[in-house]
Amino acid sequence: MSVSETIETASSFILDAPPGELQDVITDVKTLVNDDPAVIEGVTPAIEKYNKEQLITTKLPGASEQVIISEYNCLPGGRFFDVGSQSSFEFHHVKQKASNPQSWALESGNAELIKALLRDVAPHVKEHYPSSPAFGVYPVQDDAAVAVAIIGNKYSPSNYWNGRWRSTYTYTPSSSELTGTIQVDVHYYEDGNVRLLTTKPVQVSLNSGTSAEIVKTIASHEKKYQEELNRAFGALSEGAFKNLRRQLPISRQKIDWEKIGNYRLGQEIGGGRSVTR
Amino acid sequence: MASQDPFDSALDLLRRLNPKYTTNNVNALINLVPDLTEDLLSSVDQPLQVQRCKKTGKDYLLCDYNRDGDSYRSPWSNEFDPPLTDGTLPSERVRKIEIAANDAFDIYRELYYEGGVSSVYFWNLDDGFAGVVLLKKSVSSANESTGSWDSIHVFEATDRARTSHYKLTSTVILNMINGDESLGEMDLSGNMTRQVEQDMPVEDDSSHIANIGKLVEDMELKMRNLLQEVYFGKAKDVVGDLRSISSLTQQEKDRSMHQEMISSMSKR
Repeated sequence: MSVSETIETASSFILDAPPGELQDVITDVKTLVNDDPAVIEGVTPAIEKYNKEQLITTKLPGASEQVIISEYNCLPGGRFFDVGSQSSFEFHHVKQKASNPQSWALESGNAELIKALLRDVAPHVKEHYPSSPAFGVYPVQDDAAVAVAIIGNKYSPSNYWNGRWRSTYTYTPSSSELTGTIQVDVHYYEDGNVRLLTTKPVQVSLNSGTSAEIVKTIASHEKKYQEELNRAFGALSEGAFKNLRRQLPISRQKIDWEKIGNYRLGQEIGGGRSVTR
Repeated sequence: MASQDPFDSALDLLRRLNPKYTTNNVNALINLVPDLTEDLLSSVDQPLQVQRCKKTGKDYLLCDYNRDGDSYRSPWSNEFDPPLTDGTLPSERVRKIEIAANDAFDIYRELYYEGGVSSVYFWNLDDGFAGVVLLKKSVSSANESTGSWDSIHVFEATDRARTSHYKLTSTVILNMINGDESLGEMDLSGNMTRQVEQDMPVEDDSSHIANIGKLVEDMELKMRNLLQEVYFGKAKDVVGDLRSISSLTQQEKDRSMHQEMISSMSKR
């Protein structure tokens, strides 16, 4: 394998890392490539991409609130900005640590809407995201639109599970359109590897496009989606799962293995029931 | 830092990356570290492929245990496809038990899966024999929910005086997809592995069928309950830990009201 092919493979592993497990994946990759410095250097763009896609959160030095790393708030030169704390900062993508904060001022034609959204999204996040949440509001698309990002993470590696809820929305004032995506990622890995991955697109036309209307719409869509998702767990459990394998045979008794040869007859009497799909 | 064993790192990685793409990830790992090829292929369970037996017309399942080079042995005809003149076959005695086991698990499959495909493969060991029981079923329905279940039960039976010692390692690969306009896409996929060891009485070779049957039946019942708990209980609970439908202030109020009620009742 050439170095570039190795980097490509290693990068695909990194981009697939479950919530809270990036460091474990990087450690495994390093071992598998024999700590080859060219490969370790070569996967840095994938780690950066992962952090932005996954809305990785970090705390600024001396601050208690978490801020988000995303494509919405990166500055030239690899720095990121946070509107709420009016600061920009450096971010070490491999260590996932922020440093060197500087004061930074928002310059945007939508500055009023952005500030109002920061104020109005806060109670929504506080009321519905119990686990280590963070949110941000940013000017995007050359100041033609405003992006809202909300994230909740819960990591429990000692119990072999981790989870992440990501919501991102873009509001375009000129068209009054709110579009977005809600994504849930849950990983369970005790004596196994089970993954829940969901994606729900959101698209709505708003009336007034005020901060209050935007947040209300986000809140109602998230609530409706979460109720829908809870129903879907039940539908899969009662539907596909039951149709794959019965808990017990129709007789409601375990098989009498000493007399397994006699079952042919019984099966034919019950005949016509079996359906191969 | 002490350097890790590459095989351990590969297994750790496969336990973390999306289980839906285990086959692709195993291939990528093999390309990355060719030395791991045999270890990975023999220890990582992958979804089973189905092939039709040319001689009997019955479907059978493909895995590393009925493979010889590029050919696979049908449990129904005992012949390799594409044909091999020197393919590895079980001994006459073990093939006899294998035939009976395939018949028995065909019945088991019909009773529990009401469809699907089953295959059992045995091979000789110095002090006994070993085998694998495979079951596969897929469902799809009009409302967009689809699923597949693959059971892979690998066992060793070591002969002792009037008993046999069985060691069973079972993996179930369960993949499910649900989706429509209001739900979006929902993918719930993965695998779980469990092991059990047990001594069981053996009168003659037919005892093995009953013993392995009971072991596999008990294991599948246990694993089905476990999968139900993890897929539809745990995963759903974690989503609720990430985001709460009801407001947290309301939840706190309800909780303290509940507390007050309990304490006022206990004062009486």
